[in-house]
Amino acid sequence: MIRIHVTSVMVDDQEKALQFYTGKLGFIKKTEIPMGEHRWLTVVGPNEQNGVELLLEPMAFGPARVYQQALKDAGIPLTSFMVDNVQQEFERLTAAGVQFTMTPKVMGPVMIAVLDDTCGNNIQLTQML
Amino acid sequence: MIREKTYYELEVEKIAARYGLPEYQYIQVRQSKAFMEKCYAEKIELTQIAQAACMSRFHFIRLFQSVYGVTPRQYLRDVRIHKAMELFRKGIPVARVCYEVGYQSTSTFSGVFKRGTGLSPKEYLAQQNSNPE
Repeated sequence: MIRIHVTSVMVDDQEKALQFYTGKLGFIKKTEIPMGEHRWLTVVGPNEQNGVELLLEPMAFGPARVYQQALKDAGIPLTSFMVDNVQQEFERLTAAGVQFTMTPKVMGPVMIAVLDDTCGNNIQLTQML
Repeated sequence: MIREKTYYELEVEKIAARYGLPEYQYIQVRQSKAFMEKCYAEKIELTQIAQAACMSRFHFIRLFQSVYGVTPRQYLRDVRIHKAMELFRKGIPVARVCYEVGYQSTSTFSGVFKRGTGLSPKEYLAQQNSNPE
């Protein structure tokens, strides 16, 4: 049966990304496989350690940088993560030094906020209301 | 210091202003969602869920689906499956989990769980137990 196993965020520095995604956001490292210059490096949510893995994908393909930069400049999130409480995460992460490009905002059935992952991406946090 | 809004933020606001529902309707639908999240362990009928939103059953189903993209019945099923997975991870046996998430029959529960996750409760437990950590 087909299933979603992995999705990815492009990052400019895998080690920096690992520190941010685990140390700040709270993900847990799942796999780390050396692959020459880079690594197959994935993280998972603490409550879904058998769930979909997030690949911290090295930015090794030049044209992808153009795409990533365009999204970044427009404030558009590369992807979105679900949290239980956006306001609490905003306060926790702000205190930890994380920069937000959009502060918590109610948009119909959800509350959203957008942060800078320091690796070239905007990431949206979403809470279902 | 006033922060300049990003293109994304402006677009999000534009879409909300153009296509969003009146705030009171979001509040009503959220009340029904909260009701399901609180009462998932009980046998609850659609009429009760609609009452939590202070709406007629017909109007409620349409509005809930337009807000959350799934029917209230699908949402309740997903809440129950999610809770069941949490209980399985705590090592609680299938029969007890079945009753704790609002099903009276283990065969009905197993069927719903399989349709929702692709795995039977037994397969899900085996997958969890195969995790070396």
